[in-house]
Amino acid sequence: MPNKYYKHLHTFITKHNRTTDKITQGLLLIPTVLSASFVIMILIFISQRGVSPFLPSQYGNDSVNFLRFITGVTWFQPPNSYGIFFIVINTIFIVFLAGFIAIPISIFTALYIAKMTPKTISIFFQTTIELLASIPSIVFGVFGLGVISKVVLWIANLFGKQTAGGISTLSTVFVLAMMIIPTITLLSISAIRAVNLDLEKNSLALGASKMQTYFKVTLVSAKSGIFAGIILGIGRALGEATAVSMVAGNAGSGPTFDLFSTTRTLTSTMLLGLKETAGLDYDIRFSVGMILIILIILTNLGLNYLKRKVGRFS
Amino acid sequence: MKYSKRKKIDIFYQGIITLIALIGLFLLIAIFGYVFKQGSGLLSWDLLTSDYYATTYDTYYIGDLGDTIYERPSNLDDSVYFSSKWGIGLTSALDNEGKPIILVAYIDSESPLNSLPDKNNEGEFVRITENQALGKVIFSNYTIILSSEGPENAANLFNQANGIIDMITTTSGKGIRGSILTTLYLIIMTLVIALPVGVFSAIYLHEFASKKSKIAEGLRRLVEMLTGVPSIIFGLMGAAVFIPFTSTITAADGGNLISGALTLAVIVLPVIITSTEEALKVIPDDFRQASLALGATKTQTTFKVVLKSAIPGILSAVLLSVGRIIGESAALIYAVGTAIKDKVILTERSTSLAVHIWSIMAGETPNFELASAISIIILMVVLILNLLVKVVAKKLSYQGGKKT
Repeated sequence: MPNKYYKHLHTFITKHNRTTDKITQGLLLIPTVLSASFVIMILIFISQRGVSPFLPSQYGNDSVNFLRFITGVTWFQPPNSYGIFFIVINTIFIVFLAGFIAIPISIFTALYIAKMTPKTISIFFQTTIELLASIPSIVFGVFGLGVISKVVLWIANLFGKQTAGGISTLSTVFVLAMMIIPTITLLSISAIRAVNLDLEKNSLALGASKMQTYFKVTLVSAKSGIFAGIILGIGRALGEATAVSMVAGNAGSGPTFDLFSTTRTLTSTMLLGLKETAGLDYDIRFSVGMILIILIILTNLGLNYLKRKVGRFS
Repeated sequence: MKYSKRKKIDIFYQGIITLIALIGLFLLIAIFGYVFKQGSGLLSWDLLTSDYYATTYDTYYIGDLGDTIYERPSNLDDSVYFSSKWGIGLTSALDNEGKPIILVAYIDSESPLNSLPDKNNEGEFVRITENQALGKVIFSNYTIILSSEGPENAANLFNQANGIIDMITTTSGKGIRGSILTTLYLIIMTLVIALPVGVFSAIYLHEFASKKSKIAEGLRRLVEMLTGVPSIIFGLMGAAVFIPFTSTITAADGGNLISGALTLAVIVLPVIITSTEEALKVIPDDFRQASLALGATKTQTTFKVVLKSAIPGILSAVLLSVGRIIGESAALIYAVGTAIKDKVILTERSTSLAVHIWSIMAGETPNFELASAISIIILMVVLILNLLVKVVAKKLSYQGGKKT
C-alpha cells in the first residue's frame, strides 16, 4: 500500500476512534463518579441530620444540649436530655474485650491452617472459617440469644452473679468475638502464607525448633498483614448492629464494666426502640451514627499508626 | 521413643494450637446444630407458602346435604376423627400459645365444605382447607362445637347435624411467603440498579482511566472506603437520602422497598466493582491488542471482547451480592422498616427474611422456632451461593490460565 493512502487511513481511523472512545469514556465516568460520591453523601447527609437535634433553629426549646450529649452518663432524661459518653465507653470496652478473645484465637487458627497441617485438612479448616465468615449477623443474633446468653447465664449462676437472663456485656463480647474471628483469621492466613519460605528454612537450619520458627520468624514477618486483619475485624466489631442489639440489653445509664449486667452500645442504641420515623427521638439516632463514624475513623487512624510503628521494627 | 525436652515443648504448643483451631469448627457446628434443632420441625412447604397473619372465616351451610356417605381414606392417621356425613377429618393440635385446638386434617374433594358462603363478604365463597383451625361451630340442631372438647366429640356432632348456622375457622398463619417475595423483589431491584453502575465503573477504572491518573485513583479510593462502612450507617443514609427521594418520585410515604433496594445497591456496589475489576485484570492484554489491531475501536474492544471474557467475574459478583442482600438486616431496618406484610407492594414497607427474624425476635416474646426455621433457609442459600462462587472462581482462573 502506498504510504499516503496508509497515512490517510490511519488518520481516519484514529480520528473516528478518538471521538467514539472519548464519548464512551465520558459516559462511563458518570457511574464511576456516582459510585464514588456515596461515601461523601453518607458523610454529608448523616451529619446534616445528626447535627439537627442540637440546633435551636430546628427544635427550638427542645433542642439537645450538645455538651451534655457528649458527656452524659444517662441515655435519655425527659424531655430532651440525651447522653452518649457512657455508650462510647461501653462500646470501646466491649470491642476491646472481643478483640482480646478473638485476636489470639484467629492468629493461632491461621497459623494452624497455613503452616501446620497437610493440604486437605488445611482446605477443610479454611472452608470452615469461610463459611463462618459468610453467616449473616442476624443468625449470629439468634444464636447469641438462644445459646450464648444461656451459657452466660450458666456462668453467672456458677459465680453467684445476677444477670437479666444472660443478656449482658459478656454475651455481647462473645457474639462479637465469634463474628470477627473469621475476618481476622482469613487475612492472617494470607499474610502468613506470603512469608518468604527461605526465612523459615534459615531459622530451622540454625537449629530453631518448628514452633520457635513459627512464633519468632513467621508470625513476626507476617505481623503487618495480621495487623491489617485486626484493623478490619475491630472496624467490623464497632459497626456490628443486629446481633449486638439482640444480646446487649439496653441499659439506660452507665458506663458498666460489670460483665454480667446489661449494657448498651452505639449500634444497639440506634436500632432498639425504633418506632417513629420523625421527631427528636429519631433524629438523635443520626447523631449517634455520626459519633459512631467518628469513633470508627479515629480507631482506624490509631490502629494504622500503631501498625506503622510496629512494622518499623521488623 | 524418648523425646527431648525441646521436642516435648514443641508438641505441647502444637497440641494447644490444634485445639484453638478447632474452635472455629466447633462454633460452626454449634450454630448449624442449634438452628436445625430449633427450626427443622417448623420447616415445611406450608411455612414457605402461607401468610404470616391468620385469617378468620365466618360461614354457614343451609341446604340439602343429601345421603352421600364419604369414605374415610385408608391413609388417614389413627388420631384423625372422621365425619363420613360431611367428609371432614379432625385432629387435635396446639396453637402458638400452647392452647389445644381442633385442626382440619382432611377434607373430601366432594365435601360441601369446599364451598361455603362467606358471612363477612356477601356473595363470596369460602373454602375450608386442611390445616385450618376450627373455632366455634353452631349446627342447625343447636349443638355447638367448642375447641376445648376435642376432635372426637366434634366429629360426632358433625355426623348428627344436617346444617350449620355459624362456623368460624382460622388459617394457621406464621408463614413467610410475604418475606420471601420481598427478598426476591429486593434482590432483583438491587441488581438491576447496582449491576450496570458497578460494571461500568469497573470498566472505566480499569480500561479507560489512565493508570497514572490521580482522579481515577481518588475515585477508586472513595469506592474502597465504602467497604469499611458498617451496614447500619448505610441504613441511616437510606433513611436520610433514599426515603425522601422515593417519597417525592413515587406514591410512597415513609420507608419502602425501592428505598431499600437503592440502599442495598450502594452496599453491593464495592463488591461488584472489585469483583469485576479482578475479572478484568486476568484478561490477557493480547485479547485487547488483537481486537485493536483488527481495527476495532477501544469502545468495541471493551464491550465485545473484554466484557465478554469478564462474564464469570461479573457472575461471581452477582452471587456475592445476592448473599449480601439476603443477610442484610440493619440497613433494611432503617431504609424499609420492620412491619411484616403478606401483601408485598413496592412503595410500601415489608420485611426481607433477615428483617423478618429481627421483627419476631426483638419483641417481648421472641419466637425462636420460626426465627431458626428462617435462619436455616438463609444459611442454606448462603451456603449454596458460597459453593457456586468457588466453582465460578475456579472456572475463571482456569480460563485465564489456559488463554495466557
